[in-house]
Amino acid sequence: MNWMWLKFAVQNTLRNRRRSLVTVSIAALGTAGILLGGGFALSTYQGLSEMAARSTGHLIVAQPAQFDRDEDTPLQHGLDNAAELREKLLADPEVRQVLPRVSFSGLISNGDKSTVMMATGIDPDSEFAVKGPFLSVTAGEVLSSGTTAAEVMLGEGLARSLKAQPGSSLTLLASTTDGALNALDVQVKGVFSTGVPDMDARFVYTDIATAQKLLNTQRVSSLGVFLARMEMTEGAQQRVAGANPTLKVQTWLDQAFFYKGVKDLYNRIFGAMGLIIGVIVVFVVTNAMSMAIIERTREIGTLRALGTLPNQLLRTLGLEGMVLGGVGALAGAAVAVGVTVFLLVVPFEMPPPPGQTKGYPLIITFDALMYLATMISMVSLTVLTSTWVARKTVNMPVVDALAHT
Amino acid sequence: MSASDASVVELHGIHKTYHLGSHVIPALQGIDLTVRRGELLALTGPSGSGKSTILNLCGLIDTPDRGEIVLGTQHVNGLNEEQRTLLRRDALGFVFQSFNLVPVMTVAENVDYPLFIAGVPAPERRERVAAQLRAVGLHEHAHHRPDALSGGQRQRVAIARALVKRPRLVIADEPTASLDSHTADQVLDLMRERGHAEGAAFVIATHDSRLTSRCDRVLALLDGRLQ
Repeated sequence: MNWMWLKFAVQNTLRNRRRSLVTVSIAALGTAGILLGGGFALSTYQGLSEMAARSTGHLIVAQPAQFDRDEDTPLQHGLDNAAELREKLLADPEVRQVLPRVSFSGLISNGDKSTVMMATGIDPDSEFAVKGPFLSVTAGEVLSSGTTAAEVMLGEGLARSLKAQPGSSLTLLASTTDGALNALDVQVKGVFSTGVPDMDARFVYTDIATAQKLLNTQRVSSLGVFLARMEMTEGAQQRVAGANPTLKVQTWLDQAFFYKGVKDLYNRIFGAMGLIIGVIVVFVVTNAMSMAIIERTREIGTLRALGTLPNQLLRTLGLEGMVLGGVGALAGAAVAVGVTVFLLVVPFEMPPPPGQTKGYPLIITFDALMYLATMISMVSLTVLTSTWVARKTVNMPVVDALAHT
Repeated sequence: MSASDASVVELHGIHKTYHLGSHVIPALQGIDLTVRRGELLALTGPSGSGKSTILNLCGLIDTPDRGEIVLGTQHVNGLNEEQRTLLRRDALGFVFQSFNLVPVMTVAENVDYPLFIAGVPAPERRERVAAQLRAVGLHEHAHHRPDALSGGQRQRVAIARALVKRPRLVIADEPTASLDSHTADQVLDLMRERGHAEGAAFVIATHDSRLTSRCDRVLALLDGRLQ
């Protein structure tokens, strides 16, 4: 490309500065809107995916039937050789921790009142070491491994329902793996909140030994495999599945129904937003370029008379679109970066989502690829629109263009 | 035929009609015309007599309904739009009544433009533009925008733009109509001088009798016919 065409294009955009400023502003606002919306969606995806992986483990290893079929009795499809399998999995250099889980349901009673519980038996020290403060403890303490006493942590709503507090004695009732009914007295060690009232009204955590004692088994439901990084998930899944052909290995994504639902919803919302912004930009650029070209019809006729080919004129008018879109895209990206940095310096708390009790910090992710793709799209859009608007005038008969008033 | 008598453009049996709604307007009715190298040919006649139509046809920006146009040795009737554009770029210059300079370009850039689109190398363009601006007395205004110039100066820029690529033919449509009489005289002198210096023929449509008296040949048109 000869720089004179670009210089000519830049000079033409400066003919009507106010009109060009409006066009650039719309392109800038559109770019910033897409980048900020996209950055918010990305940070949400990132947060939810990490939360999902931290909850289940990056990989979940279990008997195939554990994923595919309902159990007739507790732990019917559980793993017998969990300790041996755990050692084997820990030999993989990318595996940071392997946590056994015993998932069961039953009743929990304070003597006067019984209610349904959804319980999980965990290895407390490893669980909290790997997952960090994944529970918000509102009273008492978290569970610890190695205690002889049978202890539980209750969800906030459940504790309130049972009028329980740290130190209270409760009874767990559940069917054993043989189908008999078993009961076990436990002491409340702590109360937690997940931020989701429905879960807090049912959830119970206990140590794995207590759960196995209640269910009268040595089995575990599954093993959660925690990796060093999210990106290792796919490779590790193939390795673990290959090394354990009788077992089934799912990833966190297979069980992240909330994450998938939110991502699907956000993709639609932000996709529609991007489309609307694109249409607005097309209309604004069409309007600006149409006016510019109508005003310059006679000049275009002169340039055609002097021997300029229509394609050369289309190129320079396309370059005008590129200048407008390019400046707008750069300004929009600068605004988006500014807002992103500002939110890091001055945190802003979002209100709790529906069905939850806790808000979350508004974080905008900076993704270089998204910035590049958005800016290229914006420039392409303005170039194509300008060229499309100009094509009729540059191809009109020279005599007609020269006679235009 | 001597070199000085060689024809630049020939029109043979040219007919052209315009359609305005249901009206058919015969603009040219059997025009035969030869423009010779280096001559200043004036076309006169009342409005609607066909002067501009002849200019448009000689300038290859319009096509006849019937008849043949030969530019130098090139028969142009069968050329497509791109070929006609390239022929205009290489062989023709234009001077318009209202100058038609590009306002965002400087004087030098306006004069340079025909060379730029013809792909002339930059160093040669710089030399030719400077020489042309010196010739029309606007060298010191090279970096001014057209809106900083007077009407006469603008028309001199337009003449420099028309002649910088050394065309065989310059089409000038009422080149002095927007100028006062003194400036018009100066512009006409410049066209004569530069035309002879560059060996370019001028076909000038005009109402100005002072201008016609100083042209090499004057042809009067009436109702699309040469008188």
